[in-house]
Amino acid sequence: MILSGSVLLLHAQQNIALHGQIIDSKQIPVIGATIIVSGTTNGTVSETDGSFRFTLKQALPVTLQVRALGYKTETVDVYENEEVTVTLKEQTNTLDEVVVTALGITKEKKSLGYAVQALQNKDLENTKETNLLNTLTGKLAGVRITNSQGDMGSSRIVIRGETSIAGNNQPLFVVDGVPVDNSQLNSGGATRDFRNAIADLNPEDIESLNVLKGPNAAALYGSRAAHGVILITTKSGKGQKGLGITLSSGITLSTVATLPEYQNVFGQGSNGKFSYVDGKGGGVNDGVDESWGPKMDGRLIPQFFSNGVAVPFVAHPNNVKDFFETGVTLDNGISIAGSDKKYDFRLGVNNQRQKGTVPNSEIKKTNFTINSNYQLTKDIKIGATADYIVTNAPALPGGPSGGRAAGVMLQFLWFGRQVDINELKKNWNNNWNNSYYNNPYWNAYYNTTSQDKNRLIGDIHLEAKIADGLNFRFRTGTDYYNDRRKYTIKYGTSGTPYGSYAEDAYTVSENNTEAILQYTKNLNKDFSLDALAGFNLRNRSYANNYQKAPRLAVPDLYTLTNSRDALTSSNYFSRQRAYSGYASAQLAYKNFVYLNVTGRNDWSSTLPSNNRSYFYPSVNGSVVLSDALKIKSKTLDFLKLRGGWSEVGNDADPYQLATVYNFQTAFNGNPIQTSSQKKLNADLKPETTRSVEFGLESSFWQNRLHLDFAYYNTNSFDQILEIKTTAASGYTSQLINAGKINNHGIELQVEGTPLQSRRFKWNVAVNYSSNNSKVKILDYAGQIQNYTIGSSNGVDVLASVGKAYGILYGTAYLRDANGNIIVGANGLPKADPQNRVLGHYTPDWLGGITNTLTYKNLQLSFLIDANVGGKLYSGTNRTGNYTGVLKQTLPGRDAAHGGLSYYYPGNLSSNGKKLLTGTSAPNGETVYDDGIIFKGVLADGTPNTTVISAQEYYKASYNISEAYIYSSTFVKFREVKLTYNVGKKLVKKIGLQDASLTLTGRNLFFIYKAVPNIDPETALNTGNGQGLESLALPTTRNYSLNLNVKF
Amino acid sequence: MIKKLFPLLIIALLASSCNSQLDEINKNPNATETPQPAYLLTSALKQGADLYWGSESNFNSSLLFVQHWAKIQYTEPDRYDVSNSSFTSLWNTGYSTLITDLNTILNFSDDQVNSNYKGIALTLRSWVFLLLTDAYGSIPYQEAGLKITPAYNTQKEVYTGLLADLTQAQSLLATANGSVSGDVVYSGNISKWKKLVNSLRLRIALRISDKEPDLAKQAAIAATVDAAGLLAGNSDTFQFVYASSPQQNPASAWFDTRDDYRISKTMVDKLYELSDPRLSVYAQLPSDASVGKYVGGANGLSNSDANSQGFAKTSKPGTYFLAPQSPAVIFSYSEVLFARAEAVARGYISGDAEQLYKSAITASLNQFGITDATVISNYLNQASVKYDATNFAKSIGIQKWIAFFGQGLDAFAEWRRLDYPVLTAGPATVLDGQIPSRFFYPGTEQSLNGISYQAAISTQGKDLLTTKLWFDAK
Repeated sequence: MILSGSVLLLHAQQNIALHGQIIDSKQIPVIGATIIVSGTTNGTVSETDGSFRFTLKQALPVTLQVRALGYKTETVDVYENEEVTVTLKEQTNTLDEVVVTALGITKEKKSLGYAVQALQNKDLENTKETNLLNTLTGKLAGVRITNSQGDMGSSRIVIRGETSIAGNNQPLFVVDGVPVDNSQLNSGGATRDFRNAIADLNPEDIESLNVLKGPNAAALYGSRAAHGVILITTKSGKGQKGLGITLSSGITLSTVATLPEYQNVFGQGSNGKFSYVDGKGGGVNDGVDESWGPKMDGRLIPQFFSNGVAVPFVAHPNNVKDFFETGVTLDNGISIAGSDKKYDFRLGVNNQRQKGTVPNSEIKKTNFTINSNYQLTKDIKIGATADYIVTNAPALPGGPSGGRAAGVMLQFLWFGRQVDINELKKNWNNNWNNSYYNNPYWNAYYNTTSQDKNRLIGDIHLEAKIADGLNFRFRTGTDYYNDRRKYTIKYGTSGTPYGSYAEDAYTVSENNTEAILQYTKNLNKDFSLDALAGFNLRNRSYANNYQKAPRLAVPDLYTLTNSRDALTSSNYFSRQRAYSGYASAQLAYKNFVYLNVTGRNDWSSTLPSNNRSYFYPSVNGSVVLSDALKIKSKTLDFLKLRGGWSEVGNDADPYQLATVYNFQTAFNGNPIQTSSQKKLNADLKPETTRSVEFGLESSFWQNRLHLDFAYYNTNSFDQILEIKTTAASGYTSQLINAGKINNHGIELQVEGTPLQSRRFKWNVAVNYSSNNSKVKILDYAGQIQNYTIGSSNGVDVLASVGKAYGILYGTAYLRDANGNIIVGANGLPKADPQNRVLGHYTPDWLGGITNTLTYKNLQLSFLIDANVGGKLYSGTNRTGNYTGVLKQTLPGRDAAHGGLSYYYPGNLSSNGKKLLTGTSAPNGETVYDDGIIFKGVLADGTPNTTVISAQEYYKASYNISEAYIYSSTFVKFREVKLTYNVGKKLVKKIGLQDASLTLTGRNLFFIYKAVPNIDPETALNTGNGQGLESLALPTTRNYSLNLNVKF
Repeated sequence: MIKKLFPLLIIALLASSCNSQLDEINKNPNATETPQPAYLLTSALKQGADLYWGSESNFNSSLLFVQHWAKIQYTEPDRYDVSNSSFTSLWNTGYSTLITDLNTILNFSDDQVNSNYKGIALTLRSWVFLLLTDAYGSIPYQEAGLKITPAYNTQKEVYTGLLADLTQAQSLLATANGSVSGDVVYSGNISKWKKLVNSLRLRIALRISDKEPDLAKQAAIAATVDAAGLLAGNSDTFQFVYASSPQQNPASAWFDTRDDYRISKTMVDKLYELSDPRLSVYAQLPSDASVGKYVGGANGLSNSDANSQGFAKTSKPGTYFLAPQSPAVIFSYSEVLFARAEAVARGYISGDAEQLYKSAITASLNQFGITDATVISNYLNQASVKYDATNFAKSIGIQKWIAFFGQGLDAFAEWRRLDYPVLTAGPATVLDGQIPSRFFYPGTEQSLNGISYQAAISTQGKDLLTTKLWFDAK
């Protein structure tokens, strides 16, 4: 549906006889179209061949308006006397929209009994996010995306809530018919993060992205589609007349978006004292990595860079911010496309070079793509696609090993507030604290994690017409990648004095081969049938090999043989296979009543032979009420009701049937074999997910308003759960078939055009979704009440019977019957020995609103999205309070900040603190002004009056998880995009087919957020154990400029 | 419809013929389903020593509670400011690694392993259960490893059960019953294992002596009259000798990269007070040579107070304990002698308590390389060291506490039982002046085995660090 105007020169004088042709998008002439010069009555009507001719009554240029029944009105500027060809777009009703469905089959959207949502290239390109998933945030109803680790990390996507208690809840990705992997191998926790695999794709290569939101839509994909499917169609050369060359070039600048708010009053140390000698306890509190030290008022104190000389002790308010650099991503691509009657092709290459916000971090990625089709004979067409992706990351942000020595934000939540980052930058051997840390630049440049990845996604396919209405399709596709990571730690690193070197290599491959017969027939005047039957063979394999030299023999040589000790190593290999047979049929009555049925049977290698085969059906239908009841009016264009029921089965991971014993490093020649602590299950059954879905689609006032509403209710049964068990059962986990989890929710999409004139258009798209989950049963014997999904710092994320999925469970304050916190005689709050439910991480609702304003060639769009409800546990706030670096730890730290005055009777700390009642202590004792009284009651119910120091106060709740639970609600100004399409006239003049310039800003700011100091979107990893924030790298704010030119 | 069904039919036939092929694909190439008893035994010994001598159960908890060691930074555990996730490895490794692996040996059929393997497995399993109940109190014992949510047994039930288990272990062990490999402690010497069994029986007898004196006496007699005897010299000491990195002593590995601990001031002061020759073995001189004497770190200080003692001005534990090959002592000869002395003092068995007490101290001095007879007799003859028959708990308690240096879990159990030496909680501790009397149950017990857990604490008392356990009568 592209507007194209081609113009031919006739005269160059007045009284020009303007002529041309009106066609539709299928090149068919449009008869009886009205052609009129804008603002006049001068014009004509097109002939039976679509042609027109009339004499202009004015000089060029003119604007023509072309109208025809069933088509959208088009306006064309005519600058020269040339043949004018105007392509009219069909008046698209939602009625006639065509979407890609399961197995890549295109269907009329009106015939479907389930919800699909499509994004087109324009929604994805030019945003220049380096992770494809992030470009989807806020644009899809019912889809939740969380971005865990800054600008180079992974993102997680979940559609319609978590339906699997334990398994992967992310959708299946299918690129041009080939299922592709989106796993995140060895995420490495909070200190380091690898991108999820789908981030390899280049958004510019994508033509469209269809989201099949639930089992109803995805039943034909079977096993892995229980959590929805994302179907990606890449660009091809189809429709490109002759040769088209597109150049695309972009630059993105990234800055860290959300850093903790630091205090700038007190520096490093403890109890107000600090003096640096060796940074590990040799001076006064110089081994302490906290900021409970002296006031940074310029007093003279020896510091880490001053060689014992006392220098001014002053705040460096930006000492964390200044560590981060402006990230730069350069993106350059070229593609060549072409087609004629027999063939079409598109070749593309795109190079992306990203320098991250963490110094020395860099990822380079190149995509080579090819998409081609060739008409072999009249009835046989063959084709192939390939996306070869080379990723080279010399250094990823975050160090190679966990813990204090490596984590970027971990160090910055202990970082002395007086530390001058420039002194650390000048000399990487300088270090502010030698007890626990390395100079952060030392970490960034010497202790690196690198990644080299080569990936091929591709297929070859054949389509053949066997008879009228009977077609055969064959496809064999692969997704293969090698991912090699190297971890280096330099000699002399704190905690790893000899350094270390490790290699971690993965090879993952999945091959799918499918054959499908498709049959289409009009049975009689009213009924038509569209049926298919197919077979799929799936093979997947995974291999990992890890080797580590734990202590290097000589510095700076990173090889596995340069080792003082025996290498530690491990490897893992797995493969699985599944055969599937499936069939579907669609019966249509008069193009307004549709019935679809599908069935699929899988045979999976991962299940025991007697449970290996499992069948699952689905049925859905739709009625276009506006046609069936003939109630179309000027107000109502279209009204459709849809509904369906489906069942999807799922198999297990490989090797889950027989309990095994692992080997550990042998001791003095004696092999060590030990329990894997996980009891497996020889009688596993497949998982089942059943889902019911209803929906309504309508459109009003000539498509000025669209509405799509969906309700779904999904129950998952017999889930294969690795339940955590008490170790006293003999195993820390056991694999069972258990559980029932219910998810139900609604999704609403509204799209409208409140204002539309010839030059100006305002479009609004809103999406809203809300999902409720409830864990109904874990094990059928009723012994297990909780399933542990994840945990961090003593907070568990649980699936707990009778509650929503993902409750946060941990230590709470001990409270009395009135809810007052109970404080001990020492003035510190007490922890309740009974752990409590502290909230749940899943949000109440998600929403997004996109406004698009178009004026002539200029388009401005902006997206605001919201996540309302849900709780999170913030490790950043917990640590930052303990260390006293956060601004929120200022109240009470001195008299100026409201601190109470106290003294130690007789100046002996063993006598305890006594609140000062007069202006000075009775016996002239030293008076301190950092006293706080914890609000609470003593065990006997009387109010607590014991004064404690601010340092004690802010540390008191370190082990009480409740203190660091926050609401995750936020409203974010996610994206603003300004596009200028260079006018056809100008483009033509410089010999181009198309040109555009786009400015984008992403992740700009929070309109509202409840949790301080962090971006609530940051989660631990791509697993299910969400809601646990743990010192993640900050997310980034990105600005990009992008130029697209087509020859 | 026929057209549709036909390919499906073919597929179904194809798939069923591929069934065995699919089974083959799902055969795990990464690990074996068939364990070897010798390899499991090495595993239990190595992982048991790691657990007993490692950070979480030893030097970051029990060794601080009994004031053998102190923290010079990160003093939270030394101030008892810990949570119910602080003591999980003793529970998790104890049950799901050690007891499970030992049960695997016990469950082999008789033609797969000889009874010596089973006797050793039962002995080691009893030792692990003993560690668990000493630390936590009531624990799953009878149903452990058998149910998904096993019930807890009281300490009385556990100790009684362990005495029976050890009697059975003794009957399974005999030199003639066949050889054992993988025994990296006693090298397959079954008579030493038999001595260890009796020694463990004696240890348990004394554990319950304040609560079940009759049973204790009976067990003490049984343990001492058994023909196999008790550990009879330092060469019989049950200890795991480590190798070089990465198979090095856990304390050694810790000090390779970190500097968190000092020997406790309580221990150093006591050793100075007694002019104890073990001081130079237990402690290093501070790295700042100007200090010139041993200085312990005080327990239970705030982080900054602990820090201000000076990393260079305080003594680290002795190099004897921090070498890669340093042993993890699990049952020493001196402990056997102390136990015999106490059994005599309690009137369970006959003998000379004072002489046994002296022999016990001598064995301990020998254990740490002090063999000079004059040095030893000078030490023994001090009034402050002499055996006090009117208060055997004090004499034995103090000396046992010194002799157990490094064996946190057992030092902690015996200190609770004998109530000597008198220890004072540090100034910044958070238990209102008390010292812990037990470990918290892992917090996960509340979510994973909630009903059994609630039943256990309803009889034992709240799941607090200060709740006194059954065996700890006073």
